[in-house]
Amino acid sequence: MKSLKKIFHFILPLLSLVMLVLLWLWAAEAIPSFPSPGEVVTRFQLLQERPISDTSILGHVWASLLRVIKALALAIVIGIPFGLFIGWSKTFRGLFKPLFEVFRPIPPIAWIPLISLWLGVGEASKVLIIFIGTVMPIVVNTYSGVAMVPSQLLDASRSFGATNSQVLVDIVLPASLQSIFAGIKTALSAGWMVVLAAEMISARQGLGFLITRGSDTNDLALCVISMIFIGIIGAIISYGFDFVERRLCPWIER
Amino acid sequence: MTQNTNETNKSLDYSAIRDKERAAMKKQQIRTVILGIIGIVGFLVLWTLVVELELIDNRLIVSPLQVVQEIIVKFYDTNPDGALLPEHIAESLKIALSGFALAVIVGIPLGLLMGWYKNFDRFLRPLFEIIRPIPPISWIPIMIVLLGIGVTSKMVIIFFSAFVPALINSYTGIKLTNQVFINVGKTCGASNWTIFRKVGIPSAMPMIFAGIKVSLGNSWSTLVAAEMLAAVRGLGYLIMMGRTYARVDVIMAGMVVIGVIGIALTGLLELLEKKVIKWKV
Repeated sequence: MKSLKKIFHFILPLLSLVMLVLLWLWAAEAIPSFPSPGEVVTRFQLLQERPISDTSILGHVWASLLRVIKALALAIVIGIPFGLFIGWSKTFRGLFKPLFEVFRPIPPIAWIPLISLWLGVGEASKVLIIFIGTVMPIVVNTYSGVAMVPSQLLDASRSFGATNSQVLVDIVLPASLQSIFAGIKTALSAGWMVVLAAEMISARQGLGFLITRGSDTNDLALCVISMIFIGIIGAIISYGFDFVERRLCPWIER
Repeated sequence: MTQNTNETNKSLDYSAIRDKERAAMKKQQIRTVILGIIGIVGFLVLWTLVVELELIDNRLIVSPLQVVQEIIVKFYDTNPDGALLPEHIAESLKIALSGFALAVIVGIPLGLLMGWYKNFDRFLRPLFEIIRPIPPISWIPIMIVLLGIGVTSKMVIIFFSAFVPALINSYTGIKLTNQVFINVGKTCGASNWTIFRKVGIPSAMPMIFAGIKVSLGNSWSTLVAAEMLAAVRGLGYLIMMGRTYARVDVIMAGMVVIGVIGIALTGLLELLEKKVIKWKV
């Protein structure tokens, strides 16, 4: 009886996957322009032989990733200190938080037209757009992490005669690390979405470019291949990040 | 007698301290407001100066005043994108809100059921995990081919972007239901379904609302992306046209309107949250 239940539990997830594949096959059958799984595999083999823009699929993946990494590094370097200051100094918070809140509701993607007008369609404008998308969650999380540091810790450190900078580095930063990490994680997935949008609007390389190329040339199999890679990278980013976080902040309970 | 006066003295002292504390807090609040005004006004002045002194090419930037002017002009002038601002706003809101509503209506019940019934979770989880990491905007080309560049394809894309947070948060929310409450329900003889409705759902409410807020934000920004790529009307289309005609005032006016509507939508949702979750402090 128990083993029967176990088999049932094992079959359920498989059942939904089978349904997904059947749905895909049916869609490919019903809509002529929609590629079947087999066609996608064939297209993938062709892509290996004849790469687009002289870049292999992994090259495109790397092009997109590199843009996100550059922007994220910039966002970390600028966003974390900015968030720390907003959380730490009342004057700084009073002066800059309202200004920050004015810019926050504008979606990063809505900056694309303006920034492409300012900086052209090159690499710098894409990195800047992704930077806008990634810096927001980092600042917000750093700031709220600092605001949530338990006041006992601050009082205790003060009683032991810690200086302002000691409190900031030894107490506030480690205590808000978890929140900062959550911010970087959000930033990373936001960045991964913004890079696609930026590349779909103008690029010569990258997964977003591959998708647009696919839709421009009515090559939906190419779109599906790009989407699969986008999904895989997205999943790797999110699981990989959890792994790193567990290593760096082992005290976090989950 | 002496003891009594002592006590009154003490309580007097306390209220004095309290008053002092209140006054200090009020002073701090006033200071924060003034600083905020200084920050924003300073930024606007700096921006105007940059434009007026022509530190940046005039074709690349316009002053805040000109942005406001352009927003007003767009109410009666269809140049350069062929529609009035209210028409763009109406189109964008229609698509964003319908996709969002659909996502909430489908996502929340699914998340709740997945969180409560293990078999449901086992069945749907693989599908969800496959769809989740794909950013919604990458569906745009496929949706255009399948459904055209009309309202439906954009609605489906916004559905994808809003569906994921709505589902995840209701799932997590109901998973976090206090086991004690569930046990009390069981002891009093409630069926699983009754406990799900009367205990699980209310206790998941705050998390559900947090999810809805993320969903709404996602819908709005995905909408802009979708309209920039495939539309003939809407705010995303407006700023894209501004780019095409190199009209910086149109782009900036569009961005301001997008931001203001984003704030307004979030504000409305927070009002609704206060009405629905009265027990949350």
